[in-house]
Amino acid sequence: MSVFMDLNVLFSPDRNRLQGVIETAAHLGFSTVAINYVFEPSSKKKQVIPVPCPISELIDQLPVVQGRSRPIRVLNRLTVLMSDSSHFRPSAPEYRRFDLLAVQPTTEKLFHAACMLYDVDIVCISVTEKLPFIFKRAPINGAVERGVVFEVSYSAAIRDATMRRYTIANAVCLMDSCKGKNVILSSAAEKALELRGPYDVTNLGLLFGLSDGDAKEAVSSTCRAVLLHAGNKYYSTSTASTTGSTAMSTTAMCADQSVCVQRPGGRPVGSSTPAGSSRRRCTTQTVGSDSPEQVAAAAAGGDLCVFTWTGEAPAAKKTRSDD
Amino acid sequence: MVRVKSRYLLCEINVSDKRQLLLLDDRAVATTVKAAVARTHGDYGLALCTIRFSVKYLNTHTGIVLLRFPKKCYKLLWSALPFITSITTRGQNIPCFLNCLHVGGTIRTCQKFLIRYNTQQLHRMLPKCKNEEEKQQIRESLMDCYLEGGTKEALEGESESEEDEEE
Repeated sequence: MSVFMDLNVLFSPDRNRLQGVIETAAHLGFSTVAINYVFEPSSKKKQVIPVPCPISELIDQLPVVQGRSRPIRVLNRLTVLMSDSSHFRPSAPEYRRFDLLAVQPTTEKLFHAACMLYDVDIVCISVTEKLPFIFKRAPINGAVERGVVFEVSYSAAIRDATMRRYTIANAVCLMDSCKGKNVILSSAAEKALELRGPYDVTNLGLLFGLSDGDAKEAVSSTCRAVLLHAGNKYYSTSTASTTGSTAMSTTAMCADQSVCVQRPGGRPVGSSTPAGSSRRRCTTQTVGSDSPEQVAAAAAGGDLCVFTWTGEAPAAKKTRSDD
Repeated sequence: MVRVKSRYLLCEINVSDKRQLLLLDDRAVATTVKAAVARTHGDYGLALCTIRFSVKYLNTHTGIVLLRFPKKCYKLLWSALPFITSITTRGQNIPCFLNCLHVGGTIRTCQKFLIRYNTQQLHRMLPKCKNEEEKQQIRESLMDCYLEGGTKEALEGESESEEDEEE
């Protein structure tokens, strides 16, 4: 079983509606949901970046995800609609309040800048209009290397037939250039009825031109990679000290849903892999320090952790993530 | 061995208002699915729909529907299902969406999955019960499906007790 995430649920001031959306998402099987605050700066007047509402105010009791025993995780996300390069200030303190940062560029230059330079996690592809520019391989490859993902949202396609054409056209264009890597699919749902189940979204990915494996990754492991990438922005990775072969934070092959414990030498030990399950690549933080508190804190974040250590093996705790 | 193979798609209809579910019937669902396929995939999709498509099972209390598609083109027809936004029946328009739970090769595998899914749902509803009587009813239904292994009649029984809990 993989973890499904829907990283785009539009924020609405109506509490009941938002609550309904989150409950439906939990019922459908999404383990993580991100509430999206859309910010459209205009050069005419100064606008205030919205402050995210704390989750405890929005909902009292987070519903339990279908098929798991944990409640759903709700994050905050900001999307900046950019039509000018002055709209996005690279290190504004307001951005720190959000867990995820997204940018929707409207010109070629902004797209290039967003992929290569800006410190964002997600680049949104507009689905409500004909593509204003053509995707070039260079910025897309740069974004893939940096860990920035491209997002296609599907609820416009569900609402309206013309939007459907634009969505499919833009998405197919994107898949041509990026070969299906680093793509996430998400709903931009305003109402609970606009959400779709994870397997249906995977199937929509097939319509957009993704392959079977890529489409499933677009809903599960790429989303997780985005969260890890976002987490890495604010916390510096404490890389392991010295001695040779083990001190690296690298992409590790690990089975989903388990901690991969590595000894020096790199062979994973004790990772529970069900036979024949697909091994996914994931970017991980290597917590190389000796302090058990730091290790416990990283593990308690609920994310996948790779423990690498040098020399003699300490008593490492195995944790299950997101079970 | 020559055998005609189909794919059975177990879907759940999610509505905002539970009472509207009771108005559904299988012909309405079939026409809605065909219309959605026609909108998304045009004449080709509609033609594929006439081969071996049918609604095999519909439970109005829980909103579970079992659709049959031919094996060669089930993915294409499945990709039209997310675009369904409402079902029209007896003059009323019910806004809803379909969520696919399971794809199986035979009705029996889908049934086994459905039994497990329904027990999970009952487990989820147990903490929400308001009084002891309802809790007892749910516990009994749960014990029934574990012991018997479930026939369709047992399924109907559980789903009706589910419906009682919700109202």
